[in-house]
Amino acid sequence: MTCAVETKGLIKIFRNRWTGKEVRAVDGISLNVEHGSTFGLLGPNGAGKTTFVKLLLSCAHPTAGRAMIFGRDSRESEARRPAGYLPENHRFPTYMTGHGMLDFYGALSGMDATALRKRIPELLATVGLAEWGAVRLGKYSKGMLQRVGLAQALMHAPSLLVLDEPTDGVDPIGRRQIRDILQSLEQQGVTIFLNSHLLAEVELFCRDVAIIHRGKVALEGRVKDLTAGSGYRVEAESVPERLQKELRTKAKSVAERNGHIEFLFGSRDEANQALDLLRAGGCAIETMARTSSTLEDVFVKTVNEQ
Amino acid sequence: MNSKTGIVTWALVRDTFREAFARKIFWGFFGCSTALILFFIFIMKIDVVEGAVATVSLFGNTTRGHDVQRLVRQAHAGIAAFLYTAGMFLAVFASAGLIPTVFEPGRIELLLSKPVERYHILLGRYLGNVLVIAANVFYLVLGVWIIFGVKTAVWTPGFLWSSVIIVFVFSVLLTVVLLIAVVWESAVVAMMVAFAIMFMSPILAQQSLLERLLTSEWSRNTIRVLYYALPKIFDLGRLARALVLGDPVIDWMPVWSSALFGLVTLSGSLYAFGRRDY
Repeated sequence: MTCAVETKGLIKIFRNRWTGKEVRAVDGISLNVEHGSTFGLLGPNGAGKTTFVKLLLSCAHPTAGRAMIFGRDSRESEARRPAGYLPENHRFPTYMTGHGMLDFYGALSGMDATALRKRIPELLATVGLAEWGAVRLGKYSKGMLQRVGLAQALMHAPSLLVLDEPTDGVDPIGRRQIRDILQSLEQQGVTIFLNSHLLAEVELFCRDVAIIHRGKVALEGRVKDLTAGSGYRVEAESVPERLQKELRTKAKSVAERNGHIEFLFGSRDEANQALDLLRAGGCAIETMARTSSTLEDVFVKTVNEQ
Repeated sequence: MNSKTGIVTWALVRDTFREAFARKIFWGFFGCSTALILFFIFIMKIDVVEGAVATVSLFGNTTRGHDVQRLVRQAHAGIAAFLYTAGMFLAVFASAGLIPTVFEPGRIELLLSKPVERYHILLGRYLGNVLVIAANVFYLVLGVWIIFGVKTAVWTPGFLWSSVIIVFVFSVLLTVVLLIAVVWESAVVAMMVAFAIMFMSPILAQQSLLERLLTSEWSRNTIRVLYYALPKIFDLGRLARALVLGDPVIDWMPVWSSALFGLVTLSGSLYAFGRRDY
């Protein structure tokens, strides 16, 4: 089955014209996003997320490698027809009304006047701006601009939706509304590619994620697999060497912090056995708690390990 | 042109008009043109007697004994000269801002992500800009031509042709604005270069005189290259005047050489735009 997004060894090097200094913004990224999936692209600031999206949509040219949308090289204009895009820090012309803006970008996507007349009121209502169609964008709040921007990306009913920080500046209600729209699109089989630094949001919404760091893919996989690190955390003090060795063989992970040793066990029984051994060894127990790994934990760990 | 290409082109042209309306550029030109048309309708009175002699009344002052044909042609030439100099200056000044706005971060990415070729985006914007100015020039010239025609029954087509020359020169200068805007994204630099070409033109038009005055071969070659390479704004002005006055046009070289300059500059803009990262 053709992937909605496929990149092969994508590289983007920016060269300073005067100093000749090079920055490898994207450094050999190969990614596959399945058709119909919800995909989150994560990474710290400056990791290369936005550059990756720009390469994908042909706003920038790759130094090497290819980016494909539904199997076609994204540099071909027709390859971009099934894609809708909401950029980060977008600047819609303030002289346009909401209606006029949708009309303009819809026409650029090849929609004729009849289709535009039908689609614009529908979408304005979907994003909760039915009353604002005739108002100039200069009078819109940040949240309203995000919503009308989303409507713009949806104008031609795309099969792939690329959203760069879609809930940036949106209040919690608006955020919920955007999430609901995205969920209904997901049910319709639209592939959603979300570029966001809001980890909780990605965790809540996306099925697959990739974490990129310094232009490379540091980790990728299903969210549920990556966050499967739940269990029981036991933190103790003054653990003798012999006991440490024994517990290390049973624990999923061990970490040392400020003289304390932290063991993560997969089950309650294992944690209770460890507690018995620690007490028998005269160790002071600091904590015993149930834990679940969040995407944030995975993200921080991945980025710190790089 | 297939229907999708037509839809996209029309959207880009319409967007340029919308921006020109919003920035009051279009209305500014339209207001000035209308004021001039009203001036000729109400203030200037021309009485034609026996088809040859006219009485011209302006602000109550009356002069007699004019040759109607000559009077109309001179008036047309005056208006064309005004449009060609002050009008052109204003047109470049006003339009220079319309081009770089397209390249603003956050706006250009959205345009480039659409299923439209880059050259199409740039040409659409260019065409829109030319049409904004052309609409005003044709409105003014046609309006004045009709007023003079009705008042004097002189319908010489030369004045109409001058409007074509004016729009042509503007479209050539706009290719310079376009190139600078793509490469430097600066409206100010774009204006400066376009004005420099306009101001250099009368100097370069004296090419044969300058060549006689200059002593070094290098300087003479430089003047020659600049004269032939750059658009011949001054020569085209003379050509427009000849058309208005009904004089024969001896040399059409300024037209085709300026058109060639425009084509090369436009191709350069398209090439640079196609290669840029946003």
